[in-house]
Amino acid sequence: MLPRQPLIAIRASRSPVLAQLKEAFAHRELLYFFIWRDLKVRYRQTILGAAWVILQPLLTTLVFTIFMSRLARVPSDGLPYPLFAYTALLPWTFFSNSVLTSTYGLTGNSVIITKIYFPRLIIPAAIVGVRLVDFLVACVVWVGLMLSYGMGFTPRMLILPVLVANLTVFTLGVSSYLSVLNIRYRDVGTLLPVLIQLWMFASPIIYPLSLVPPKWRLLYSLNPISGMIEAARASVFGLPLNWRSLTISIAVTVVSFAVFVYYFCRSEENLIDIV
Amino acid sequence: MAPILQVRDLGKQYRVRGVADVNPTLRELFLNLVKSPSQLNGNGGQESELLWALRDVSFDVNAGEVVGIIGRNGAGKSTLLKILSRIIKPTFGEVDIYGRVGSLLEIGTGFHPDLTGRENVYLNAAIIGMRREESRRKFDEIVAFAEVEKFLETPVKYYSSGMYVRLAFAVAAHFEPEILILDEVLAVGDAAFREKCLKKMKQASVQGRTIFLVSHDLDAVQKLCSRALLIEKGKLLEDGPVAAVSETYLQLIAERKSKRSDR
Repeated sequence: MLPRQPLIAIRASRSPVLAQLKEAFAHRELLYFFIWRDLKVRYRQTILGAAWVILQPLLTTLVFTIFMSRLARVPSDGLPYPLFAYTALLPWTFFSNSVLTSTYGLTGNSVIITKIYFPRLIIPAAIVGVRLVDFLVACVVWVGLMLSYGMGFTPRMLILPVLVANLTVFTLGVSSYLSVLNIRYRDVGTLLPVLIQLWMFASPIIYPLSLVPPKWRLLYSLNPISGMIEAARASVFGLPLNWRSLTISIAVTVVSFAVFVYYFCRSEENLIDIV
Repeated sequence: MAPILQVRDLGKQYRVRGVADVNPTLRELFLNLVKSPSQLNGNGGQESELLWALRDVSFDVNAGEVVGIIGRNGAGKSTLLKILSRIIKPTFGEVDIYGRVGSLLEIGTGFHPDLTGRENVYLNAAIIGMRREESRRKFDEIVAFAEVEKFLETPVKYYSSGMYVRLAFAVAAHFEPEILILDEVLAVGDAAFREKCLKKMKQASVQGRTIFLVSHDLDAVQKLCSRALLIEKGKLLEDGPVAAVSETYLQLIAERKSKRSDR
């Protein structure tokens, strides 16, 4: 029996965003395969595959420990600087790597996307997924650092999974948006590393929030990364949690995710004509 | 019998722009803005030309039909297949499809050179739309069809080109959607393998699967298809039994040739 409703209806008009999201969800198995592919290739090709994931934030931490803490004497709220920095650099590496890779996600996969149909949202989602796995692997080192500095694990840290979820959502939004933008304007990918660098300095990653003058704090907390990092440090080091900036962070995440994904879905269908 | 696929007034229009502003950079956007702010929403004053890749195409296809699409290069065949595969969107018209569509516009889409034959079978199967359970079930059959049993654990970058296309085609050939769209993918491998592919496709149509086939190999089209669509300059010139349509196509080519030699 043929269904009376067509299984697939192709129309010249745009499909509703909600239908596109449903379709993307129906393709989650493909998302899993893309993540599996990238992990497999990377972890097989280089013996350093797994090591890189750990080394990147670790080496960055080392560099900043030498230059920021030892030489420039940047304070770290009385905490051991390497642990202070690594706790923030770990999620930051997840975010920045995802965003930088996703920018070339659609252009880099143009061979596949001009030959086969699947919801394009899968591409940035897979990139973020791979980076999330990297992040979780690198967390092992963080646990080691915590233990070596004699830090205890407390129930307050139960907020960390929530923060990771929030960061993932924010990262996926930004990644999707930039992957489309890089098709529209080819030099986005060139400009981005600089912007990411600036973004890092606009977040309390290698310095504590206490260095930011109080009158700028509200503006500063509009950067959702800032609220997440603060909350992570507060929970790990037993400092008072700044609910205001965390709330702002989550609100900005939700709104930006909605806007970015909406933009992505809106552009998705006409991408192929210009890719 | 109700058609499994209905195409109504399908059209695809492309905007052919000056090369410079197809994909502008932010830098160019900024410079243009500085030079002539009023033109931000225009296209920089450049003439844009509209090109119909496909126009007013309508037809119905019943379940189990094997339809060949023929026409010269640039006639719009691939545009039609890409719309049916949902890779591009039409500018006008609509298509209703009452079944799953599997489209193979290229074989081995998404094959990764560093992954083994086994891994690529699962990956490619997922990309073309097979469920994991389905590819697992058909795995042995696929490998036997491709004749690469010994090299399953070898990365495909070490495969000979023959092995590579055989494996890629084998995955595709074991995909069983209600509607299968094939673009020039039968032209792979040696004569014996091609014969095997044709047989597999015949078998699929006997099982009631609907197949769309684009090929420059008129011979293959005639062997496999019962019906053909002739597309010329984006329009559906003729729709009918494969023998008659191929005749028209050959005449069309002959006409062009004599016109060219007259000049």
